[in-house]
Amino acid sequence: MGLEKFDPALAVHDLIQDLKWSVELRAEFAANEAAVLDCYPLRQDERRAIETRNFLALYDMGLHPYLGGQLARLIFGNEAGKGATVAVNKLVESLQGKGSVA
Amino acid sequence: MAEIVFAAGAPHAPGLIGLLEAAPADVKDIVVSTYRNLASAMVSAKADVLIVFANDHLANSRIRAYPDFLIGMANEHRGPFEWFKPWIGCEDYTVKGAPEIAAALFNGMTRRGIRMFAQTENLKFDDNISVPVQLTRLAELGIPMVPVLQNCTVPPIPDQHRCYAVGEALGDFIRNDLPADMRVALLGSGGLSHEPGGARYYFIDEAFDRWFLDLVASGDHATLLKELTLEKMEAAGSGGTSELLSWVVVLGAIGSKPGKNFGYTVHRDFKCGVGAVLWDMDANLPKRRAA
Repeated sequence: MGLEKFDPALAVHDLIQDLKWSVELRAEFAANEAAVLDCYPLRQDERRAIETRNFLALYDMGLHPYLGGQLARLIFGNEAGKGATVAVNKLVESLQGKGSVA
Repeated sequence: MAEIVFAAGAPHAPGLIGLLEAAPADVKDIVVSTYRNLASAMVSAKADVLIVFANDHLANSRIRAYPDFLIGMANEHRGPFEWFKPWIGCEDYTVKGAPEIAAALFNGMTRRGIRMFAQTENLKFDDNISVPVQLTRLAELGIPMVPVLQNCTVPPIPDQHRCYAVGEALGDFIRNDLPADMRVALLGSGGLSHEPGGARYYFIDEAFDRWFLDLVASGDHATLLKELTLEKMEAAGSGGTSELLSWVVVLGAIGSKPGKNFGYTVHRDFKCGVGAVLWDMDANLPKRRAA
């Protein structure tokens, strides 16, 4: 699973980049994820995949894998050897066939 | 005529800092000695400035407005960017910039038909710049840096031929535009095999890594340009291994030179093959670039 399905038009790319660039948005995302998602023109299936932590579905839609890895860290944790490892394992679990890892 | 006095390629996996302490001793030894050797070589070369090419990792620009090359023109470079700090596990650093050289680079590459972008604000650095800066202790060495963040992962990706041509223009710029007697160091930061964000996140292609290290150390650029295709790098780790294109820029700048590495190691938690090459800038090999 590489870049062959990449679709740069997906709004989820902007969501992920904004989250990593803004402490305030990350706090808001943690407190009220739905309100943050409302701010982005996400497709229905795109939003559903984010909500259910279905990275496999997002990649099938065209999410860039590098940002997929960052979305996993934004959700599951970002600290070396701790949350970041959980994030990698959850991501791999989803991509290797499980789909939703909520 | 300015001179390239140091040229190297080295990986920048975040685990090389944040997960280093927990790594086996033999792995740790290779990581530490590799970057210590690179730092020592940079000092011995009496470099006046270090130009680093490294994958931007989508850290600075929107995915739909993505530059292939982005030069950092700041007076000083501070990192890592806040969100990446716990992920890398590194302390804050400040490295001297070289805004006049950065501006000359931007203008020089533009005149040579190479579209680059440049930014005077501090760029957002993740592991791309933070790992080599911290592991070589660049701030303590006092060598100013010009970072050039590169598109190694957003299609269409400038391939090995394009990156080599960019490197040739870079070499011409250094030799002809920079002040006489200036001593320039070049680092390609990235690789080896890895697949960040992919289904094979833990995959490391040891056979590919060893092939690559031997090839770039041989100085055989004709074979390199023929065989280091995007397809081959994707197979060795999608979206990550292609960071080796930063090494290709450096190779284009220096031409055929033999190199040496300081050992190769694989550690699953790093999620990336680890090995670096330092090229011998005093050697003169016959030109073996593909026609």
